[in-house]
Amino acid sequence: MLRFTVRRVISGAILLVAISIAAFFLSHWAFPNPASAILGDNATPSQEAALNSKLGLDQPIITQFFSWIGHAVTGDFGTSWANSRSVTGELASKLPVTLSIVIFATLISAVVGAAFGIVSGTRPGSAIDRVVKMAAVVLFALPGFWVSLVLVIWFAINLKWFPAVGYVQPAKSFAGWLDSITLPAIALSLGAIVSVAEQLRNAVVRVNGQEYVRTLRSRGLSRGRLITHIVRNASPAALTVLALQFVGLLGGAIIVETIFNLPGIGAVTMSAANSADIPMILGITVVSVLFVVIVNLLLDLLLGIVNPKARTS
Amino acid sequence: MKKFPIVAMLAAAAIVLTACSSGGATDSSSTSSAPTDLKIGNFLDVTSWDPANADIGFDGPYLSAVYDPLIALDTDSQPIPALATDWSYSADFLTLTMHLRTGVTFSDGTAFDASVAVANLEHLKAGTLSGPTYANVASFQATDPTTLTITLTQRDDTLLYLMGLGRSYMVSPKALTSSTLATTPVGSGPYVLDASTSTAGSDYHFTKVDGYWDASTYPFANLEIMPITDATARNNAMLSGQINVNYAAATDLPQAQQNSWNVSQKVAGWVGLQFIDHTGSMLAPLGNEKVRQALNYAFDGASILQSIGSGAGVATNQVFPDGGAINDSSLNSTYAYNVATAKQLLSDAGYASGFSVTMPMSPVFQQWQAVTQQSLADIGVTVTWDDMSQADYQTKAATYPMFVSYLAMDSNPNATVAQMLTTPQWFDPTPEYTQFPELVSLVDQINQATGDAQTALIKQLNTQLTQMAWWSVWYQANNIYVSSPGITVTPITGMMFPTLRYIQQG
Repeated sequence: MLRFTVRRVISGAILLVAISIAAFFLSHWAFPNPASAILGDNATPSQEAALNSKLGLDQPIITQFFSWIGHAVTGDFGTSWANSRSVTGELASKLPVTLSIVIFATLISAVVGAAFGIVSGTRPGSAIDRVVKMAAVVLFALPGFWVSLVLVIWFAINLKWFPAVGYVQPAKSFAGWLDSITLPAIALSLGAIVSVAEQLRNAVVRVNGQEYVRTLRSRGLSRGRLITHIVRNASPAALTVLALQFVGLLGGAIIVETIFNLPGIGAVTMSAANSADIPMILGITVVSVLFVVIVNLLLDLLLGIVNPKARTS
Repeated sequence: MKKFPIVAMLAAAAIVLTACSSGGATDSSSTSSAPTDLKIGNFLDVTSWDPANADIGFDGPYLSAVYDPLIALDTDSQPIPALATDWSYSADFLTLTMHLRTGVTFSDGTAFDASVAVANLEHLKAGTLSGPTYANVASFQATDPTTLTITLTQRDDTLLYLMGLGRSYMVSPKALTSSTLATTPVGSGPYVLDASTSTAGSDYHFTKVDGYWDASTYPFANLEIMPITDATARNNAMLSGQINVNYAAATDLPQAQQNSWNVSQKVAGWVGLQFIDHTGSMLAPLGNEKVRQALNYAFDGASILQSIGSGAGVATNQVFPDGGAINDSSLNSTYAYNVATAKQLLSDAGYASGFSVTMPMSPVFQQWQAVTQQSLADIGVTVTWDDMSQADYQTKAATYPMFVSYLAMDSNPNATVAQMLTTPQWFDPTPEYTQFPELVSLVDQINQATGDAQTALIKQLNTQLTQMAWWSVWYQANNIYVSSPGITVTPITGMMFPTLRYIQQG
């Protein structure tokens, strides 16, 4: 297990470094004259030259790269060129917002998706199975922005159970925080619920038909214990999907953040790209990749625990 | 040059971000009595709390909450006293003397006086965004603690207007030299930012300053400003009662009527073609006045306003704001949509079979791309589009002979002349009026005249520019604000979102 873990950590680290290098050079290639974009149309050439010097943009690109990565490994991603705020500070304030709704959406997906998957998988062909499958098709077809709007109209505007827009920090009000992320997380989770339910349902049906399950059943195991065995062996597929969904939810969060006006990394990403704010773009890229690597690592470890054969694959 | 044409582009983008509006609900927060809390849904987050790096456009509500300006504008965009109680020009208009309010202190306890004003004005003059306002200033001097003297290198009839528009906010001298000014405002305004309850980028809470010298202008006990870029989200926030003043889209108006909200709107920017090349140096046909006139006849501004602008605006072919002192409604029929006339003019100019032109295009302007292509194709002009990002559009558009534009307007006629014709801008880096003696003569006369005579000359200039087809203006687009019953908003052309003094109970 230790070798397996070390191997996964090393491959994750290589991925992180490779993407960081690519992101650095691609962003500088995409924005060849950031001083002009930052200072706007009023800037004189001398003001642009002064800013280039201040930001170190008059240095060779290799020198800039090693300076950036030297600071990045210490967690210092520099200062935003757009608003002079610390990139690390901005990420520290924005990322919790995005992670709040993504993690909450993942939890909803796991719980609801697993419930649907197990119920329909253990009763294939039944009415409930057909209802779940039909619901899956419908939910999968619904566009996220439409679902978000429907949730807002019903639960925020008509019923006033939740706020229509905005985010409350948990430190200021835990209940307010929960209120502010509930609708976005639900809107974000629908597609993932379907995917998890579908995968788990099919895996449960497959495992349920295997001989060892028949043997367990013939030995008189209770239904609850039998389902525990089945789910344990059926779970790798659903876990893989859930991990992939987590990565996808990070991207999907941008739309949900816009509709619910949440100050997450979605808006910052758009703003940084529009304003050639390279330090912010790089900070967001590296941290996003870091989270993807961590989630995949955790998934690999979980799969390794659940299914020892995965450690040798 | 002001920064807000860039912000105006974002506003143009906002126009298209309105496709999905929720519907059917009523605002239970609506009451007949005037609300005591003002909750604004703004289009953009504050650019910077440093007035030298802030945009005039949508930063107005934020900055006017915490800072006092030297000069404000009344609802007719005329300068009125704020921290400067009165002012006067010397006979040659090269010295501006201001007397300053006494007894004003910043929220950190520092007193305001002329030396603080000088430090602030020097800071603003050095700022990239605020600096152009003071381009003609030679020096600022504190004659005594309550008297400020501004010495100009040349007469500048736009200075007081631009200062009132949002370029004269005063910051505590301690904050001015600190490194936290961009994120931590310290002013003498009617409110102070409550950092403990505010979340940067999401919502800003302000508390009213006790004993503020102009308290009656700011009647709301509590202030909250939420930057909400998405129009649907802003409308939802209005419907749910989270905000009671909204920078609205035209598509929100039916719901505003349904909910008995107050609606105010006023022209804010003009939409059309900006001609960079009036001499034919980049594209020979554009040097011919008849060709430019043909390009005016080719566009059905009223239809474009209805179909793309949702009818929120005025079809006109002038860059001076509709309803202002200069805009002449009788000129609006000068280039009434007529393809046959356009073709005839092209033929008369020697381009009977049309010509080809390359124009830039960015996502913000794509809403007008199809109609531009079709209208020009109808008269035989073929367009090749160079697609680019909005950031590139900002720096490269003026390297093309003409391009689709949405440009913010000024309510002050002199500022409009400067902005649109005589001073370098991103959309006109090398103003070509100097190559047209009739325009140079008029501009010179305007710069020498005062009062009604000056207004008459600017009207004459407007007529001349319209006849010369200096631009192809299709329409002027409105900025729209909706507010709950008991709150009224007075729009100001020149401010994308009016400052707090224009938002009142009633």
